[in-house]
Amino acid sequence: MAQKYELKQREVWDGNLAAAHALRQAQVDVVAAYPITPSTPIVQNYAQFLADGYVDGEFVMVESEHSAMSACVGAAAAGGRVATATSSQGYALMVEVLYQASGMRLPIVMTVVNRALASPLNIHGDHSDLYLGRDAGWIHLIANNPQEAYDLTLCAFRIGEDERVRLPVTTNQDGFLVSHTAQVVEPLSDEEAYKFVGDYKPKYPMLDTKNPVTYGAQTEEEWHFEHKVNQHKALMESFPVIEEVFSEFEKLTGRKYNLVETYKLDDADIALVLMGSAFETAMLAVDKAREEGIKVGLLMPRVFRPFPYNEIAKKLKNVKAVAALDRSAPMGTTGALFNEVSAALMANGQSAIMTNYIYGLGGRDTTVEHILEVIKETNENKKANKRVTPLQGFINLRGPKLSFN
Amino acid sequence: MKNITNLKEFACTPDRFQGGHRLCPGCAHSMIVREVVNATDDDLVISTATGCLEVCSAIYPYTSWDVSWIHIGFENAAAAISGAEAMYKALSKKNKLYNPDKRVKFVAFGGDGGTYDIGFQSLSGAVERGHDFLYVCLDNENYANTGGQRSSSTPLGAHTTTTPRGRVSYGEKQRKKDLTMIMAAHGCPYVATAIPSTKHWKDLAVKAAKAIETVGPTFINALSPCTTEWKFKPEETTEIADLAVETCAFPLYEIEDGRKLRITYRPKVKLPIEEYLSRQGRFSHLFKPENKWIIAEWQKQVDEYWDYLQRREEAGV
Amino acid sequence: MATPKEMLTTWDKVQFAAILPAFEDLEHKKRSKFHSYNYSVADWRVEKPVFNRELCIDCDFCWVSCPDSCFMVEEVVNKRGKKQAKIVGINYNLCKGCGVCVDVCPTPIKSLLMFPEYVDTEEALKQWPKKD
Repeated sequence: MAQKYELKQREVWDGNLAAAHALRQAQVDVVAAYPITPSTPIVQNYAQFLADGYVDGEFVMVESEHSAMSACVGAAAAGGRVATATSSQGYALMVEVLYQASGMRLPIVMTVVNRALASPLNIHGDHSDLYLGRDAGWIHLIANNPQEAYDLTLCAFRIGEDERVRLPVTTNQDGFLVSHTAQVVEPLSDEEAYKFVGDYKPKYPMLDTKNPVTYGAQTEEEWHFEHKVNQHKALMESFPVIEEVFSEFEKLTGRKYNLVETYKLDDADIALVLMGSAFETAMLAVDKAREEGIKVGLLMPRVFRPFPYNEIAKKLKNVKAVAALDRSAPMGTTGALFNEVSAALMANGQSAIMTNYIYGLGGRDTTVEHILEVIKETNENKKANKRVTPLQGFINLRGPKLSFN
Repeated sequence: MKNITNLKEFACTPDRFQGGHRLCPGCAHSMIVREVVNATDDDLVISTATGCLEVCSAIYPYTSWDVSWIHIGFENAAAAISGAEAMYKALSKKNKLYNPDKRVKFVAFGGDGGTYDIGFQSLSGAVERGHDFLYVCLDNENYANTGGQRSSSTPLGAHTTTTPRGRVSYGEKQRKKDLTMIMAAHGCPYVATAIPSTKHWKDLAVKAAKAIETVGPTFINALSPCTTEWKFKPEETTEIADLAVETCAFPLYEIEDGRKLRITYRPKVKLPIEEYLSRQGRFSHLFKPENKWIIAEWQKQVDEYWDYLQRREEAGV
Repeated sequence: MATPKEMLTTWDKVQFAAILPAFEDLEHKKRSKFHSYNYSVADWRVEKPVFNRELCIDCDFCWVSCPDSCFMVEEVVNKRGKKQAKIVGINYNLCKGCGVCVDVCPTPIKSLLMFPEYVDTEEALKQWPKKD
């Protein structure tokens, strides 16, 4: 029996410790993980919990991230609750297995501490890894601070394990900016947290040897399409379950999460779309801009996959100009948020003057002033009623001004 | 541990790996797999790497497995089984096992591709961590499933599609990697070699039973003569396997705790290596006058290795 | 190889996550429709092994070496009270005609011989080589 961890009503945790506590409270049966900066402390904290008797599951210290996810898949198929953590290079190494995990509909929870992808090598926060795994069939939740990292990790178990979903879930948090920044977190007690997450309900467990099953069959031209469509359908239809879980979480804690988060968007005529820790920086910039009379608001997909395109279009109905900020180098095109938000508007018969900004790569600092500049540029577009600024710009890039059209 | 005495009794075992799969007629993989899974009465959970066995035994909507089975990818059969075994331990600790009265054992199957090459890392890791499982390498000395490309298990002079015999090349230039010894060096409690054969059926069955029963990571390297890629007639599979042993090209031995080596079969008359090589189309070019030196090299390597095994057995190390 | 028509389902009826349950009823060894035991590879062969019960000594070499688990056995108890497997026949749905069973059969006149597919078992037994 795992020992109870006495928590205060308000703790001071960084994103890594918050995620580690959430994994501990969910009473995960098997954690198979490999250390990589900046998610290493999650694995280390978990190991310390195990060594002190606060965890009674198994902790498999595998020899690579590919094996980490493979062991997670083997353990989940065997029939129990499974979780892991990683970042960037490790995430990239296990990408093959991410597809295999979601194809087998196994509700694994992974906390990814988003970090840049080499080359050149960089250990700091950006969304390259998040964008890499977009199509792998996992549900993606975005946390902007340690409290959200804790909350969303607990919600992840409920969402993934729901009978109507049965898909693996990733909780994302910015490397160093969230993972290593300590803030106030109000955790649930061990009992409350476990009660919310609930017991694991197995589906086709391999260890139930009275009902032997075969996982991972081969489907060729005759079958593959039908199977992949079912997986896609489960993702597309998971929105109501996610909202239900968020609703229940609100009743328990008073903290409400939504498919799409907004800040001062209701009366805004221009908007910025961005995810991660920079969202909170942008909130301060929005307040400042409003003091100067600019009616700007923010929008963020709390759930990046499945992408809530209809919700986003609805929220941007009255907005004339939108700047989509992507924290990943799109390599030859406009960024993912730009593309998906533009498509969301178009699909709903709406339009707005769209611009794309690339920012914060490899942990590059993005300040209130930088965002304020973006707000002012977007406002110019609104005033001119057409795009007068470049299609794609770069924030806080050292050197002569660079842009693409 | 299942008591395996004679074949007449062993043949009463209800087969846990069934036909209807799409392996080639005469495939040795299947002979080996059947003996291994029937060598225990415990419940089994099996993982298999991508390869002939996996692809032919689980083509949706059909499965040939009577036991729980998982295939994830090419290089992670050992990692998959590590996860399943860890879950078994976890549920056991928490008293949440599905069938607490029946013991479950874990077996991973991989071809030489998924074991010697791309899956080596995950095998080494799983063994180092001490998971309680048996890994059986179905060694057909090439990547048979994709048409016969070389692997690090391909022996000297063999023709494969990526080391083909040609005007200026005699085929594979490298020696076969000695994976069995590498696994013994990991400190596995039990490591052995085996072949599919009627003469040596008990050698494989008893080794499998022992390996499954032993707590900790165990490894069996089973030579799997491939009628399609080694180029011999489908009915000759067991004959080729027997010749591998009679010529000492593939000696049968076991090692306990990485140290105590025991040769489990000594041919009364050690046949010359030509008897083994001449039966396989993949070596036919070695009999050309300009390639005879390769056969001599083969004989030298086989003799040296056989001598080494005997000296090691005698010294008790 | 095409899936038999009756197994070809639509997207809304495929197995969840392509997971295949092996048994309909494990206790009574009733394998599910997803089990390859219920599939046929008979059309792979051009010649088939024929079993001669009279000559067979039940060494079970064929059982252990068949790659396709074709040999059907019946458990009998011998004079010393030990159980042993008596070969009762070949499952021709699963047999690919590889010929390994014939190769390993040890009886002086083999108890298993390959015959062209179209030859009737009765006819094959009549044509069996005799001891001279």
